[in-house]
Amino acid sequence: MNQPSPTTDIRRDLVALLPRLRRFALTLAGSGAEADELVREAATRAIQKSHHWKGEGRIENWLFSLIRTTWTDEQKKRRRAEHATAAKSDQDALRPLASVLSLPEGLASAVLLADVEDFTSVEAAAILGITTELFSTRLCAARLSLAAAGSQTSERRA
Amino acid sequence: MNALQPSPLELQLSAYIDGQSNNEERHDVEELLVNDPHARTLHDALKRGADFGRNAFDDMLKEPVPLDLVRSIKNAPLPRKAVRLPGSTRRNRAFRPSGLQALSACALTLLVGGSLGYMIGARPDGTRAPQALASPAFQQRDWLDDIVSHFRLYSRQQNRLVEIGADRPADILEWLTTGTGVGFRIPDLTDSGLAFVGARLVTAENTPTGILFYRRTTGDNEGDILALTFSRARPETAKPIEDIRLDTSLVSWSTPLATYVIVAPSSAADLDEIAAKAAGLI
Repeated sequence: MNQPSPTTDIRRDLVALLPRLRRFALTLAGSGAEADELVREAATRAIQKSHHWKGEGRIENWLFSLIRTTWTDEQKKRRRAEHATAAKSDQDALRPLASVLSLPEGLASAVLLADVEDFTSVEAAAILGITTELFSTRLCAARLSLAAAGSQTSERRA
Repeated sequence: MNALQPSPLELQLSAYIDGQSNNEERHDVEELLVNDPHARTLHDALKRGADFGRNAFDDMLKEPVPLDLVRSIKNAPLPRKAVRLPGSTRRNRAFRPSGLQALSACALTLLVGGSLGYMIGARPDGTRAPQALASPAFQQRDWLDDIVSHFRLYSRQQNRLVEIGADRPADILEWLTTGTGVGFRIPDLTDSGLAFVGARLVTAENTPTGILFYRRTTGDNEGDILALTFSRARPETAKPIEDIRLDTSLVSWSTPLATYVIVAPSSAADLDEIAAKAAGLI
């Protein structure tokens, strides 16, 4: 009963994870400015709801989920402008990250969570609020698209 | 074949790459990879796609994080009051003046306002205060800016950080007690991962101020310098202050006899905890 609670400050965790949180936000928002705004809003929510975090498992799961739900809420308020993906210049398209971000909605997040952040399919699907089957489909589609984009980039350089 | 709706074979191969297949499926896929060139090509493409994504995202971690984003997180108020510093105790005094008190206050305000108005109106034009003194920049600078300046100056001079080192605590106590007029102890903050380095005497807005320097010995910010300053009580800073100025965080608190400030680089998110601990020890 008298077990001391950990006195960790969630703001410290947020700052430490900030580069990874921004990267995930970028897969959702598509642009750096929007991603930063999304992280700012999600961080505010995380601080306000920090008592919900019970210290079980990885805090990344909770924070990534929070970013995704914040993004969903934002989407409901204002539908994202379609030009976000269409407005990329040819020069940008040559950059590997731009290739990833120009994937159809949902695919970039799938690649990031599975291939970079090493979440299991179940964890990643929970973060994105979708079924495991849909996540596996998106991941597969993303990998195939990126393989094609990678080949095109190599051909252009050659 | 539609890339957004992969075929069952592509899905099977993708799951195999993730290690999500069961024994039977894995066996089937391995057999396919040996016998079917198309499956091999698809398998290689899926792995190539995963590698491409990994490399692209890895590059992004090298980008600097916007400082204002870091600040907004660090300065975000916590939902609950976790730390209570001395002097921050809330007195339960509601502002409910009686009718007589309110009337007296009105009369006094009228008298003071009328007197000031008369004096200003009667003053010759030539006696106006110099504009420079009334400029916002002049008025806004306060003693905490001096503290921050001293901290930024000395924390960057690792070889000249302190005037008396931690190996002479008795000299520090005698010198700074005499110099500042404030009795104090040197807080042992090793539990917070801070090693005492030594002390200095400076002035902040013409008031002698003692500075105790500490160095972080653990954590991500190992090597960072923190300073604990103290001076005679400053009535204008009776309420605790938490602020960031010039990339430097500070937390202040006061007792009836002295005002204390703990100063650190703005990356220190645990400053309020350290302040609470130091307040109980100094």
